[in-house]
Amino acid sequence: MKKPAILLLAAVVLLPFVVRPVIASEIWIFAIFGLGLNLLLGYTGLLSFGQSTFFGSAAYVAGWLLNHYGINVFFALGIGVGVGALSAALVGYLCVQRSGLYFIMLTFALNQLFYFIAYQWTSVTGGEDGMHGVPRPALFGIDFKDPLTYYVFISVLFLASLWIMKRVVESPLGRILQAIRENEVRAEAVGYNVPRFKLLAFVIGGAFSGLAGVLYAMLFGIVPLEAIGFVTSGNVVFATLIGGSGSLYGPVIGSFVFIWLSESVSTLWARWPLLLGVAFVIVVLFLRGGVVEAWSRFWAWRESRKWPSSKQIT
Amino acid sequence: MSTFSRRDILKMGVGAAAGLGFPAIIRAQQKELVILGIWPATGAFSDVGPILDRGMRMALEERDMKIQGRPVKYIVRDSATQAGAATRRVEEAVDGDGAKFVIGPWSSGVALAVSEVAKRKKVFHYFSGGTEDISGARCHRYSFQWAASPYTAAKTVVDNFMKANPKAKRWHLLVADYAFGWSVEKYIKEVGKTHGLEFVGADRHPLGEREFSNYVQKAAANKPDVVAMINFGLDAVSGAREIFNFGLTPKIPLIMCWSSGVEELVQLTPEIRDNIWVGSNFYYTADTPVAKNFVKNYQAKFGNPPGYAPSAAYGMTRMMLAGFDKAKSVEVQDVIRALEGIEVNDLVGRMRVDAKTHQTLRPFFFMRCKPKSAMKHPTDFADIIATGDTPLPAEYAACKDIGGF
Amino acid sequence: MLYALMGLGLSLITGVLNIPNFAHGALFALGAYLLVTTVNVVGNFWLALVLAPVGVALMGLAIEYAGVRRLYAAGHDYQLLFTFGLALIISEGIIVIWGPVGFSHLPPPILRGGLDLGFTFYPKYRLFVMAVAGLLVLATWLFLEKTRYGAIMRAGIENREMVSLLGIDIHWLFTVAFALGAYLAGIAGALTAPIRGINPNMGVDMLGIAFVVVALGGLGNLLGAIAAGLLIGVAQAIVAAYWIEASTAVIFAVMAAVLLVRPQGLFGIR
Repeated sequence: MKKPAILLLAAVVLLPFVVRPVIASEIWIFAIFGLGLNLLLGYTGLLSFGQSTFFGSAAYVAGWLLNHYGINVFFALGIGVGVGALSAALVGYLCVQRSGLYFIMLTFALNQLFYFIAYQWTSVTGGEDGMHGVPRPALFGIDFKDPLTYYVFISVLFLASLWIMKRVVESPLGRILQAIRENEVRAEAVGYNVPRFKLLAFVIGGAFSGLAGVLYAMLFGIVPLEAIGFVTSGNVVFATLIGGSGSLYGPVIGSFVFIWLSESVSTLWARWPLLLGVAFVIVVLFLRGGVVEAWSRFWAWRESRKWPSSKQIT
Repeated sequence: MSTFSRRDILKMGVGAAAGLGFPAIIRAQQKELVILGIWPATGAFSDVGPILDRGMRMALEERDMKIQGRPVKYIVRDSATQAGAATRRVEEAVDGDGAKFVIGPWSSGVALAVSEVAKRKKVFHYFSGGTEDISGARCHRYSFQWAASPYTAAKTVVDNFMKANPKAKRWHLLVADYAFGWSVEKYIKEVGKTHGLEFVGADRHPLGEREFSNYVQKAAANKPDVVAMINFGLDAVSGAREIFNFGLTPKIPLIMCWSSGVEELVQLTPEIRDNIWVGSNFYYTADTPVAKNFVKNYQAKFGNPPGYAPSAAYGMTRMMLAGFDKAKSVEVQDVIRALEGIEVNDLVGRMRVDAKTHQTLRPFFFMRCKPKSAMKHPTDFADIIATGDTPLPAEYAACKDIGGF
Repeated sequence: MLYALMGLGLSLITGVLNIPNFAHGALFALGAYLLVTTVNVVGNFWLALVLAPVGVALMGLAIEYAGVRRLYAAGHDYQLLFTFGLALIISEGIIVIWGPVGFSHLPPPILRGGLDLGFTFYPKYRLFVMAVAGLLVLATWLFLEKTRYGAIMRAGIENREMVSLLGIDIHWLFTVAFALGAYLAGIAGALTAPIRGINPNMGVDMLGIAFVVVALGGLGNLLGAIAAGLLIGVAQAIVAAYWIEASTAVIFAVMAAVLLVRPQGLFGIR
């Protein structure tokens, strides 16, 4: 097995003992969410600022069905993926015609629209209070109520998602998306139906977001209104950028950093968002590639110090 | 797309794991009693977070941070006024820090989420806020409600206002579009019937509304004798300000039915406060020994009088402490049993906890704001003119079965 | 009118510099806070009204010089991250300096009370704000349409490269545009203070609305932003008469509707 895989496996196995299973679960869920976003952001060059639309919609629908119709876990996950993909298809269809700032603002605007619907439709979503009472049903007789058991389930799904995303980005589709990112006009000229591929990226990204949404709902037993709000949309973008949108693992690392920061620092200083803002500024001005870049730069520097002769070769 | 070697990833992972060295492995010592205050430090209501902490801390410090010989570890977590974040942090505090007693949060919506965690994790939970559900439709054995029932509030406000203004029959209501808003509105209309009131209008505004001009103009168009606002915090402040800007007050009175008192009034000016009547769960001129002592100490320490927020935190903590005292135990279930039916003379006067609903039955205050000329000092906002403690009639109670442990 | 002002400022920044300025709301809030502080220091509302937005403009200058300048070539995502980080720093900074509790600030005595307009009673101060905002919008528009500097700015929106090829210092252009946009946000905030009160999160709602106005009016079209701002204000008032709870949501609904039908905005050029 390759080294990254071993490392990741180690992280997955050890994490719930370093932090509480609930937080560990949340990190992987957010990582799945980030993977979905990064297909759009990192690989296709589309800054979708409304990903929580798919995350939240999936959470609400699946949460509702789990609560009122007692569906089983598999079905819930399937619904989550489906709703995520479907809502993404809708939003994507409306947005891919635009580009640049307009695209960003349109995704934001549509996100607000969904938010408003969720806010007003209190009989279903609970509005400001959120949707309560989402159960965590058993699967094949395995009871998921225990945080650690549920964590294992989530981490398995995370690893599976990561593997799927890896296959996607390394496939011809992945290459086409990157080509679109590099030079959209040329991709079009070469004969690719750019809007259709963008839409496809949306749908896949949406599916991942939807999966994350359902897992989130089952983790906390509620679907809070902010799950479909712009703060969540923003958080996943920032986490991905901080981790480094240029790599497959960027969103994973970003998820780590972001959730860890917001958990540990918030207990120390109430004004921690200020530090977050500073972190953003630093990343943008000095560390575009995020944590991933910082790390590789650091080790490259270490390497060059160890072997002075190799400096001129690289 | 940057590439990096597998070695880099390996090191990254180790670094990440080390960097995450979270103090989660540290468990609470067996002897320590861990009590959690879940207060908003960021997001909406973040201005109230620090003062809630103050109130709770003061109550615990009165016991020298010791309960029945055990040291108390008081931890605070940020609810961020987000159900998701709050749920996560409460669970984390219960699992990781061993917290067994939770007080807070501040927002009703988040409270429902926290209450659910309390039920799931079987920990003690006290909340003060406008939602009826904690002691109503979503009642359960582990959660308690400190604030007066919206019915008590409505009755106190309407009865006493009508005593002072018997001719003011035409009422216009401005209600926050939220469960607690609807509850208070419902009860005001009920009680209003007994006074022969005519409700010429009732508009709902979304939570967090800032642009009240349209609502105020609509209210004015109905030519009411009174405008009654059922909202909270910044919404109430914004509403009151606009009602003044548009000239409704001071000509006609404005009632803030469910107010924080000091926290909201301090954000207005004496001109805006003229002819405002306020219903609140606490006001600092309350005439009880506990309140007087608390207000004195609070003012000495922090310079200004306490509003509803720190008093609620203080009050809830004191009720919890009373539970500990009566139970002579620190086990969650013993304390809960001790609180059910308890009667104390505490912060707001005579307080009882209804065993069937876990609602604290206690007085609700009604005040009238003072004009600038009558203010003896900068925070002399209002005088208490009455209190009321009529409990919610049994036929309205939505809590049918508080359940077991 | 306020919406038009905010939209105009943001449109200027997004149009000329082509970056999403997520700090626009925070600049708005800063304007309000600076107004109150300046009034306390100087004792005169009118003077404060003039000075406070200048403070915000200076902040805008600093931001542009220190940060934004470096990001012209960076992708939108980084610009977004940067301005958002700034927004956080400014709003949290406001809380650190002025505390988390909001306060009220009455309009100057001469503008208190209202006018009986027959069909409704309208506060004098609001009328004042409408007038001032209208004048500002007009002045800005005249500047942009009639002066040489304005022409350069409009040219910069349309074709940045051409402008620099023509020998004009493009960096200076950007700095001025950003400062001007910040000024407009600051004065909008200062004007709003007596109406909506002052609290640390007041910028957040305004940011959303500003973006809606810009998107609706058409990216890069300054006149469009003005028109869109007015349109939204009017739409809000109309909806409020019939379905009052939706009066805030209507803003987003209108934007979504228009953008779906006419993706480039009402008057968009790209």
